[in-house]
Amino acid sequence: MRDFTTLILGGVVLLLAGAAWRSGGWELVLAGAVGGVKTLLMVAPLLLCAFLIAGLIQVLLTQEKVAYWLGEGSGWRGILLACISGALIPGGPYVYYPIAAALIRAGASLGVLVAFVSAKSVWPLVRLPLEFALLGPRLTVARLLTTFLIPPLLAFLAQALAGRQIEAIRENLK
Amino acid sequence: MNLATFTLLIPAVVLFAYAWRRGDGSHRRGLASGGRTLLSILPLLLLAFTTIGYVSVLLPQEGLQDLMGPDSGWRGLLRAQGMGMLMPGGPYVVLPLISTLYQLGTGLGATITLVTSWSSLSLLNALWEAHFIGWRFTLIRWTLLLPFPLLVGLLAETWFGGTS
Repeated sequence: MRDFTTLILGGVVLLLAGAAWRSGGWELVLAGAVGGVKTLLMVAPLLLCAFLIAGLIQVLLTQEKVAYWLGEGSGWRGILLACISGALIPGGPYVYYPIAAALIRAGASLGVLVAFVSAKSVWPLVRLPLEFALLGPRLTVARLLTTFLIPPLLAFLAQALAGRQIEAIRENLK
Repeated sequence: MNLATFTLLIPAVVLFAYAWRRGDGSHRRGLASGGRTLLSILPLLLLAFTTIGYVSVLLPQEGLQDLMGPDSGWRGLLRAQGMGMLMPGGPYVVLPLISTLYQLGTGLGATITLVTSWSSLSLLNALWEAHFIGWRFTLIRWTLLLPFPLLVGLLAETWFGGTS
């Protein structure tokens, strides 16, 4: 799976580099690559922290603990906790997906996983100041109000419609 | 050090201290496990960030606003949803871009659809998700979420209407 993803992304990069070459020559090819590496370096400290957290969570969280807090049996409480954790966790997909994977390995339900990932995308605490500054209070408040129910709603939907798929998802991670 | 790094440093330090105090070597095992994951996805990281670099130098910004203005209706919202899915990168790359579009005349509903679609349905993000968790989970979450950015945009346009 990892090789497949790398291959797809590699293809995308080549296509984009080609497009950059056509519209701006080697200068633009270089500008794009340098811009990307600069962004990567900018978030490097964030990455190190994130992987440290993911590694520690994996070691510290026992299956019983997660089953109690974020597992199937805890129902709406687990989903609510997952929503709050998702809102609080900073960083990009390379941060919260390893954490989400650790949660699955430790026994979390599908609803909890969906709640965590969805809350991260629509209620992200760390992104809000930036959003507020760039898009203004009116748009930010309107967006928060209209998307407020998405994470729990989606979690319950996922749990009800496809909850049993979690076993296959967990199996695939091993 | 920015806010995100600082916010992330706190749980890292707290967790590490907790693991260290347990005195069973779990702090070292945690460190090793995190380090292994980081090393194994390093090539993927480089590729992903190069993609972000290229899209931000290539994306045409002019003319887009006509397609997603306040009077573009549900078609405008649909375009916003599609565009949001294609936008790669984190908030530091995408939000400034969306803010530019908003200032150029993209409607409130379309802008909210754009933000929601990018943050929850982004294809680059789906690749990460499939990579770490598997295609099955991505498919379930993605399918369930698909109508929401459009609905949220419609709702926002109805409740908060017009342009600023």
